[in-house]
Amino acid sequence: MDHLADASNQNSQPQTQISHLALDIGGSLIKLVYFCRYSDSCRDDYDDDELRSQNDSLCSKRGNSRPVLEGRLHFAKFETSKINDCLEFLRSMKLRIGGFHESTAPLSDKIFIKATGGGAYKFADLFKEKLGVSLDKEDEMECLVTGSNFLLKAVHQEAFTYLDSQKEFVQIDPNDLYPYLLVNIGSGVSMIKVDGDGKFERVSGTSLGGGTFWGLGRLLTKCKNFDELLELSHQGNNRVVDMLVGDIYGGTDYAKFGLSSTTIASSFGKAISDNKELDDYQPEDVSRSLLRMISNNIGQISYLNALRFGLKRIFFAGFFIRGHAYTMDTISVAVNFWSKGEAKAMFLRHEGFLGALGAFMSYEKQCLDGLIVHKMQQKFPISVSSAGDKIYCSQNSNSDENASIECTVYGT
Amino acid sequence: MDHLPNVSNQRNSQSQTQISHLALDIGGSLIKLVYFCRYDDSCRDDDDELRSQNDSLYSKSDNGQPVLDGRIHFAKFETSKISDCLEFLSSLKLCLGGFHDCSAPLSDKIFIKATGGGAYKFADLFKEKLGFSLDKEDEMECLVAGANFLLKAVHQEAFTYLDGQKEFVQIDTNDLYPYLLVNIGSGVSMIKVDEDGKFERVSGTSLGGGTFWGLGRLLTKCRNFDELLELSHHGNNRVIDMLVGDIYGGTDYAKIGLSSTTIASSFGKAISDNKELEEYEPEDISRSLLRMISNNIGQISYLNALRFGLKRIFFAGFFIRGHAYTMDTISVAVNFWSKGEAKAMFLRHEGFLGALGAFMSYEKQCLDGLTVNTTQQKFPISLSSAGDKIYCSLSSNSDENGSIEHSVHGT
Repeated sequence: MDHLADASNQNSQPQTQISHLALDIGGSLIKLVYFCRYSDSCRDDYDDDELRSQNDSLCSKRGNSRPVLEGRLHFAKFETSKINDCLEFLRSMKLRIGGFHESTAPLSDKIFIKATGGGAYKFADLFKEKLGVSLDKEDEMECLVTGSNFLLKAVHQEAFTYLDSQKEFVQIDPNDLYPYLLVNIGSGVSMIKVDGDGKFERVSGTSLGGGTFWGLGRLLTKCKNFDELLELSHQGNNRVVDMLVGDIYGGTDYAKFGLSSTTIASSFGKAISDNKELDDYQPEDVSRSLLRMISNNIGQISYLNALRFGLKRIFFAGFFIRGHAYTMDTISVAVNFWSKGEAKAMFLRHEGFLGALGAFMSYEKQCLDGLIVHKMQQKFPISVSSAGDKIYCSQNSNSDENASIECTVYGT
Repeated sequence: MDHLPNVSNQRNSQSQTQISHLALDIGGSLIKLVYFCRYDDSCRDDDDELRSQNDSLYSKSDNGQPVLDGRIHFAKFETSKISDCLEFLSSLKLCLGGFHDCSAPLSDKIFIKATGGGAYKFADLFKEKLGFSLDKEDEMECLVAGANFLLKAVHQEAFTYLDGQKEFVQIDTNDLYPYLLVNIGSGVSMIKVDEDGKFERVSGTSLGGGTFWGLGRLLTKCRNFDELLELSHHGNNRVIDMLVGDIYGGTDYAKIGLSSTTIASSFGKAISDNKELEEYEPEDISRSLLRMISNNIGQISYLNALRFGLKRIFFAGFFIRGHAYTMDTISVAVNFWSKGEAKAMFLRHEGFLGALGAFMSYEKQCLDGLTVNTTQQKFPISLSSAGDKIYCSLSSNSDENGSIEHSVHGT
C-alpha cells in the first residue's frame, strides 16, 4: 500500500484524499461517488464532530491481515450541460494519483476513473483533454443493478414504501431479495428484471421520464431547474388542466367500470379550451398535472412489466423522485391500484447514485490497488446543502437523502 | 309501421333531409353523430350515382318486412361548441316518428340514443333546447357494438399501416374474437372483446388525444387538432427529443438493443438553458408530442394485448385521423415490442364506434321495430369541413368517414 502511505505523509494542510472515484454520466446529470478516508479529515461544509472522533483507526489490521481503510462514501451531482463545473470539482479534489493507478503501468502514464452512463463514451475525450484521466467504461445497466443490489443488501434503511403519506422503511432479507423489478427514472426510464447478483435483463423502458418532465415543464413554466419545477407542483391543482371523468360525465362517477369522478380521463384535456392561453394558466397547476401525468404513466408501465414477469417488488431509482411526496404518492397509488395491492412500490434513499455506486464497486474486480469495498453501515445521516448552481447534493427536506455512507475498504 | 308511410307522404315541396334514426356519442372533446337518411327523400349528396340507386323506396325483404334503403351519415362537432350541434339537429327537421317511444303519446316524449359522458352531462340542455330526452347507453358497450358491427359488416373497414403502406385486412367474421379494442379519444380505453356483447375494460391511459391537443395548444398556439397534426408533418423530433445517440455520443447502445436514433427521453433536450419556448419550431414540438403520445399508447396497448394473449389490436377514436406518422408510430411500437407477434390495425370509421353502437341499440327496443340489417359500404364519399362547423373531418383519404349504405328493416 505504498501510495496511500505516501499520500498521508505528503501534505501539511489537511486535504481530501480520494482513493476511489466513480462517475455515472447521464443525459441530464453527472453523478459522482467518491471514497474519502478518515485519516485525512475529509473537509465538508458541515461540522459533525462525532464523525471526526471516529477517525482513530488510520490503518488497522483485520483478520486476514489486510490493511483496512475506514472512511466514507460521498455523493455529488452536476448537470451534464455544466460538465465544466464537474471537471473543476474533480480538479479541486486533488485526485490522488495512487487511487487510480493501474498497477501494471508506470506512475505517470495512465490515470483512469471508472465511469458509466452514455457520457462515459461521449465525454471520454474531454476528460482526457482537461484532466488527463482516461474513463474506464462500465456498462450502465450492469452498474445500476450492482449498485442496487449493494444498497439493498448492505445499507441500513435504504428502501422504503410511501403510502397514505407514510414513509415506512422496508426490511430487506438479503436471502430473499430476488427477483425484483428495478425501474431507473433518469432522463428516460429503464426497467430491469433482476434475478440475482449480476443476473439481470433490461425488459422495458419508456421515453417519458425525468427529462420529459423537466423539458416540458421548462417550456410550459419557464422554471429554471428541476427542483424549482418540483417545488411549484406542491401548490398546484391538477383539476384546472386535467380533464377528469367527472368533467365528461357531468360530475358523476363512471362506476360501472370503476372510474371515480376524480380519476383523470385525459391529462391536459382541459387545455384544449379556446378560452385560455398558456399565460392564463398558473405554473403550479401545469407543473402538478405534468408531474402526475409522468408519474402515473411510469407507475402503470412498471406495474404492467412486473405483472408480466410475476414480480411483486418494484424498486424505483433515479433522480426523478427526490423524496417528493406527490411523486411517490402517485407512483405508489398507481402500482397499488393497478395491481390490486399485489405489487409494492418501493423507493431508495440513494436513488440517483445506483450507477455511480455500481461503477465504484467494479474497482474491486480489477487488480487496482486491490481495494475491496467491504462493509457499509450508514450511521450518521448528513444533509448536504446546495450552493447556487453547484449542486453537490440536492437540497432536500429529508435529511437522509444523499447521505454519505460510512464504509470500510480493505487493501490486499 | 304506421309512422313511416306518414313520413313519406308528408314530403315537403322542398327536398328535405328526413332522419329516421339518430344517435349521439358525446365525449370530452367531440360530439359524434350518426344518422340514417332514407333515399326516398333524396338525401342531398354530391354523388349523383347514389341518387340513381334510389329506386327501391320500399321493397320487401325475404321475411316480408318492409325495407328502407338509405345511408348512415356521420358528423362531428367540438363538445365546447355544443350549440353548433344543437343547431344542426334543429335544422335536420327531425322526423318525430323516428324517435317516438311506441308506448307514449306522440307529442309527449321524443328521445335520441346517446352515449358518452355527455349523455349525462348535457341531458338537461338537450331537453331545454330541443325538447329531446337522451336515452343513455353505456359508452363501453356502444364502442364494442360499434366495433363489432363495423368489422363484420362494412367492407374494407380495418387496415394495417406499415412502411408507409396501407393494407386492408380481410376479417373472417367467424374468427373475429378475441381482440383488443383501443379507443383513443380525449383519454384512452382498452377493451378486451371476447364475443358479441362480452367484453371487459381492462385498462386505459390518461395520455390520449386530449393530452396531445391540450399540450399542443399550450406549446404551439395551434387553433385546433387538425392544425396541430398538419404541423407535425414538417417537424423533426430530434431537435427536442433526447436520443440514445445524444447520451452515448453518437453510438448505439447495442448491448440492450437501443439504436442511436431511439428516443431515450421525450422532450429531453428542452431542459437546455439555451433556448426558450419561442425559439423552438412549432413543427418540431408537434412532432415530438405526437410521437410521445403515439408511442406510449402503442406500448401500453401491446403490454395489455400480451397480458391477455391477444394478437389483434384495433385502434379507434379520433386521434388517428388517417395520419401517416401517427399510424406508423403506433404500428412500429406494437410491432417492435411484440417482436412481430401482435398486429396494429386501424378503422376507417374510427371515431364513430360509440355513436354507431348507440345507433344499433335502437333495434333492441320496441321503437319502430326498426332493425339495422345489411350494410355495405359502396360509395365512399368525402365530406368537407367548413370553418368551425366540422361535419366530417377534412382528410386526404376520401374513404374517411364515408357514409355507409344501409338497409333498415321494419317489423
